[in-house]
Amino acid sequence: MNRFFYFLIIFVILLGLGADWVIKKANRSHNIPVLKPVPEFSFFNQRGERFSEKELRNKITVLDFMFTSCTGPCPLMTSNMLSLYNDFTGVKDVQFISITVDPIIDTQDQLKEYAKIIGVSDNRWHFLRSDIEAVKVLKRDGFMLFADDLPQGHAIKFILIDQNGNIRKYFDGTDSGSNDVLKKDIVKLVNEYRS
Amino acid sequence: MKSFRTFAILSTALTYLLIFIGGMVRVSGAGMGCPDWPKCFGRWIPPTNISQIPDHIDPAKFNIVLAWIEYCNRLLGAVVGFTILITLIIGLRYYSNVNRIKVPLILAFVLTLFQGWLGSVLVDTLLNPITISLHLLFALIIVMLLLFISQESYYMEHPESEVKSMYPDDMKKYFLLMALVLFVEIVLGTEIRGGLEMIRKENPMVESQFLLKMLGPFKYAHTILGFLITFLSIYIWYKLVKKSHKPSVLMVQTSTGIVLLILCQIVLGEILVFFKVIPLIQLFHLWIASWILGLVSIQYVAWERSVIFYE
Repeated sequence: MNRFFYFLIIFVILLGLGADWVIKKANRSHNIPVLKPVPEFSFFNQRGERFSEKELRNKITVLDFMFTSCTGPCPLMTSNMLSLYNDFTGVKDVQFISITVDPIIDTQDQLKEYAKIIGVSDNRWHFLRSDIEAVKVLKRDGFMLFADDLPQGHAIKFILIDQNGNIRKYFDGTDSGSNDVLKKDIVKLVNEYRS
Repeated sequence: MKSFRTFAILSTALTYLLIFIGGMVRVSGAGMGCPDWPKCFGRWIPPTNISQIPDHIDPAKFNIVLAWIEYCNRLLGAVVGFTILITLIIGLRYYSNVNRIKVPLILAFVLTLFQGWLGSVLVDTLLNPITISLHLLFALIIVMLLLFISQESYYMEHPESEVKSMYPDDMKKYFLLMALVLFVEIVLGTEIRGGLEMIRKENPMVESQFLLKMLGPFKYAHTILGFLITFLSIYIWYKLVKKSHKPSVLMVQTSTGIVLLILCQIVLGEILVFFKVIPLIQLFHLWIASWILGLVSIQYVAWERSVIFYE
């Protein structure tokens, strides 16, 4: 019986050491590679302020391409982005950017109204517009996304950008499971940036 | 039947290991390591490279470490299922007329299948907190059924066990109270953990030492009930070890083990509350709770056997 207890105690200690190793390995496993820098651009946000790639500095950014009159996947994307926006309330290091792919209908006033309707109440979420050619170039060459058939053919990706303006990872903006992963990755980048 | 008892004990031990691995999945955040079920990213062996992810799954979800942690839980779950199935086949062959073995055995097997299904629900609901708690509670019920079967099969082979011991016969109410309080305590514990995760989900940047402060009053209920359990376990130990005639070795060791493990739980619990929410400690806090529940079940069955004999 005594031998059984010794065996049990050794087994439990080994199990604990194993679990400790696994938990640490799991914590370290969320490394997010640097893909490429976001190229230069110069757009305007819903308040008419100039917004360029310099505004990506010293912030963790989640960016997507959308248009306000879209009825396809956009409402789902907006709802997922809004849930992130609300979860990071008060966190000044995290910002959200939605670039319209339909600048003719999405005027500055339209974007401002849209932001108000969905409940954007501070300066953490920017809705950007520019002429369609500049948006196409940024989307295709800057973010490596399809830009042929805009506005309908806009991508459903959320793009995670770090404090140095580097693209880090792409997420399916319509998938709430992906949104959970994105949330963890934002936390990781913010913690890396702060430390 | 010795082979039956071997398989019953093996099923019990593997189920305890599975509870540990399941807890590890939870504390390492690997619950969604495989976003589909029963396959992992559409494969029977989790992918090793991001290029192997099927088109309908977002590659952003792929993390090889988390995928394998979750997959080990599923693999071990399947092994446990097969071991219980073998135990069931042997049991039905030799003990088909012994209801005390047959009924819990069938129940354990059915619940194990149910657990597998619950695992798929967890993945579909992106880890719904209530489903996670149910997944744990059913695991605890299964392990207690298996322990009961192992103990009964031992008594079938050793009919002389516990008949020389005489325990106080008015203990049933204390056992019932203990079982009830332990059950409530475990539910409160999962509420605390679920609550912490909800807060973390809605406030992702909050530091872990502030998490507990944001939690409601049930963390105090958990502590208060913990002290009640301590006194109760010491009282039961006193009655069964000190106030009994020739208590069996099993009874002495089980009763002492329960008290020691409860003291151990208090230390671990206080570390979590006052120091830091450390995943490894969370994991052991939960696992030891499942041990205590098992030991109380052994204690009760041994006591009942002796008391029925003398009646």
